[in-house]
Amino acid sequence: MAIVLSFDIDGTLELGDPPGGVTTDMVRRARDLGFLIGSCSDRPLSSQRSIWAKMDLTPDFIASKHQLGDVRSKVTADAYYHMGDRDTDYEVAEQHGFGFWWADEAATEPWIGLAPAT
Amino acid sequence: MTREVGWERNKDPLPIWEHRGKVALVGRGHSATDRRWDGESMDKTLGAYTIIAAQEAMDDAGIRPDEVDGIITSPGGQPGGAPIGDTWGPVREYFDPPYDSEDGLTQVTAEWLARQMNLTNIKYYNSHGDTLWNLIAQAAQLVGDGRCEVCLVPYPTGNLQGRYHQTPGLEARGGAQWQSPWGWGLSGQGFTFEQYARKYGTNHDRMAPFIIQERKNGLLVPFSYYATHEPEPFTEEDYLNGRWIAQNLSIFDCDRPVQAAACYVITTAERAKDMKQKPVYILDHTESSFQPRSFVQTLDDTEEWCDIQANRSYQSSGMGPDDIDIFLPYDGFAIFTQYYIESFGWRGVKKGEAHDFYAGDISIEGPNPLNTGGGNMGTGRMRTTFITDPMEQLQGRAGPRQVKIKAEVAVTHGVLPGNAATLWFSSTPG
Repeated sequence: MAIVLSFDIDGTLELGDPPGGVTTDMVRRARDLGFLIGSCSDRPLSSQRSIWAKMDLTPDFIASKHQLGDVRSKVTADAYYHMGDRDTDYEVAEQHGFGFWWADEAATEPWIGLAPAT
Repeated sequence: MTREVGWERNKDPLPIWEHRGKVALVGRGHSATDRRWDGESMDKTLGAYTIIAAQEAMDDAGIRPDEVDGIITSPGGQPGGAPIGDTWGPVREYFDPPYDSEDGLTQVTAEWLARQMNLTNIKYYNSHGDTLWNLIAQAAQLVGDGRCEVCLVPYPTGNLQGRYHQTPGLEARGGAQWQSPWGWGLSGQGFTFEQYARKYGTNHDRMAPFIIQERKNGLLVPFSYYATHEPEPFTEEDYLNGRWIAQNLSIFDCDRPVQAAACYVITTAERAKDMKQKPVYILDHTESSFQPRSFVQTLDDTEEWCDIQANRSYQSSGMGPDDIDIFLPYDGFAIFTQYYIESFGWRGVKKGEAHDFYAGDISIEGPNPLNTGGGNMGTGRMRTTFITDPMEQLQGRAGPRQVKIKAEVAVTHGVLPGNAATLWFSSTPG
């Protein structure tokens, strides 16, 4: 079962500005558990790439926040989740049929229990 | 001191300014730039940053605190001294003095700054200044009028956690009912841009060369948000993938709110001779303020207002577009810049031609260096690069941003089409 985890950056990831509660180790662990990982943020795409480079991880996708729906068409999966700290995050997730976690919930790694079989 | 009125030069026809070339910018200082204040770091409050900027400006000018006899500021960076972001209290508790009120947290008054910096010889205080261009203009007028001789001009722009520049009311009446539901200024500016694009057969994406160049210039500004926090080169792909905020405005056409402060020293041309830096003489200032003819500002309003102000500035300064070496038109919403370039006719740009102009060479190295300081798009919403950059260009100390063309006269213009001031700077008294 393929599951997409889409991370907002600022206010969500620890490398964001402001820093969020989702650490690089959590993102790496998600990748190691077989989740398809990427970012969906209002940051420029080049800046998102830079964040992934700092985490020393290769994302399966990056997208601007309003392009979350494109992730669904570009990355085939059985389930899609987005997490973020803003109403906009919630709205785009709902609009495009993604499950949603607020940033503080995401910092508890709620996806662990959903881990795809690897 | 209450808000002063009637100092503006805004009644046509205007004679040449009586203090032309007799007042000068002699110092500038900047704090670091953060995205927001975290609510905890007391060395990064708006007050702390304003002290840093003021000290740096005095050091830059080579003056002692006891030489300063005037301070004029816009405590929150907005007209009337209002903070542009949220207030700290009353929901959140204040701190020990000097942070036991909004003063020092979301605004910085002249009185607060003088107390913290032990500026004991201040005879002129004014904490009711307007936005940056008007503030510099008013300070120049004060010094020229002899009301103070060495004037500090701090400009703090704060940003706290949470929402920014909201319209907090639950009801919107009159024209506000058409705009407030969509956020401050956004629907109106998007609407005006839509009219512009239809009238002149252009579109949003043709803004890309301008935004990319501003971001590139901004990376060369040491205090800019992007140089210090997001130094990746900004690309056309980045711009074209920006989220619409109010179509035709994307998120990359709107400046990013930041926490920062700057400060300037303005004095008489005579006094400037003894100071550390080469003076930048102020040749002219003019102001204007307008109201839309209807509920919503239209392109017709915008173009008419900008034309009136440009003509006023040319008449008052006794100069024309060919006299401007370096032009810095404001870009808080990036679409403002095109209206200003066209009304001022800089480099021969006529109505509807700004996007063609952007497609040419507007680089620092080229013949038409535009917003060499990066503007707000390239530095964050602090605005102060519009004063610091032309200063440094005319002083020949802009470093990697130094233009290759002659840099003797600079014009900086802002803020809104309907509420603007134009400043003429020169490397000579004129």
